[in-house]
This record gives sequence, C-alpha cells and structure tokens, in this order.
Amino acid sequence: MNKHLYLRAYLAGIAVPTLMLLVIMAGYAVLRYAVHFPVPIERVIVFPMAVVPNLWGLWNIAFIASHEKLRQSIGIHGMILPFFLAPLGLLAASLLDFSVPHFVFSVLPIAAPVALAAYYLAWKYLVHGLNAVLGIA
Amino acid sequence: MNERDHNRSEERELEQMRKLLKSALPALSDTEPHRDLWPQMLRRLEQAPVRVPWWDWALLAGAIVAICAFPGVLPALLFHL
Repeated sequence: MNKHLYLRAYLAGIAVPTLMLLVIMAGYAVLRYAVHFPVPIERVIVFPMAVVPNLWGLWNIAFIASHEKLRQSIGIHGMILPFFLAPLGLLAASLLDFSVPHFVFSVLPIAAPVALAAYYLAWKYLVHGLNAVLGIA
Repeated sequence: MNERDHNRSEERELEQMRKLLKSALPALSDTEPHRDLWPQMLRRLEQAPVRVPWWDWALLAGAIVAICAFPGVLPALLFHL
C-alpha cells in the first residue's frame, strides 16, 4: 500500500487541526456574537482556518519524507512546528492590521511551553495514530 | 422568429448538448469497491493499542494545570492550532 504516500501524509496531517477548527469557530462565534468581545478576530481567523491545517499537512509530509534518513521521533518533529507557526501567526496578524491584545504577550512565557507540550502530544498520539491507520507510520 | 420557433430551436440545442455530453462522458460502471473496507479499517484501528508512558501523562497534566491557572493562554494556543 505505497500508493499516494504523500497525499495520505497530507490528509493525516490536516485532520487534527481541521477538527480543532470546530472548537475555534465555536469559541469565535460565542466570543464575538454572545459576549461581544471587542477584538475583530475575523480579520485573522484565516490563519487558524487555512494556514495552520495546511502547514500541519506539509509538516507531516516532511516527516514521512525525512523519516527514513533521520529516524526522528514524530513528537519532537511536531514540537518544532510552533517555532515556525508562532512567528508566522504574528506576521499574519501584523499584515492583516490586527493588533494583538496585550494579555497575549504577558502570558507568552506560560503559553510557549504549553504549546510545545500540546504539539508534542498531538503529534505523538493523534497524527501518529492517523499515520498508522493510513499505513504510513 | 416568433417565440414558439425560438423555444423549439433552444430545445434542439439543449438536446444536442445533452447528446454531446453523454458521448464525451460515458457512464461509469463498477463504481463500488469489490469488498467492504470498513471491517478492515476497524481491524487496523484495533491493531495498535496505545501505551502512554507516565511522563506523557505528566506533560498533559502540567499543560492542563497551566491552562486552568492561566486561561489567557487559551486564545493564543487556539490561534496556532
């Protein structure tokens, strides 16, 4: 079953953040329309909606392509992704004229290790599980 | 050209278009898989039981505690997930 290896890797990669979108969109709808949160999130919602899932897919392709040579752990491989995503997110926010609320910067020392742990666990268990189901682990 | 002629020529054109489309895209036969793939999928899902080492539980617990203690990290996390 070695057909379309990278297509399967891409699909396994995008599955987890795509499911997370349900949570993000629900949170967005509650914040904007129920709580009337005064931050225009819709300006930057394109980042978690489009950029993040695609990068997860491409990152999983990179894992599958390099695993034969490097034999790296998928958890560690996934943990490296936030180092690209975080600056990209900030860049997208600034390009889209979205001023990041101040509290985001104040919680950064806590958010960064939590994000690394979340990515490590998500890649080790969820993406790896999907890779195994699709026969590419 | 009156309206009746116009309608008739339109119908003729549509009929011609229908024939052309049908000849260009022949009907597919045998579109169903030869066997039911779902049992195989279930077997594969059951094949590899997940063993979680204690340090991963500790990592998960630490992340949950940090989120509960500082709920402000949640929007920043969701933005990047």
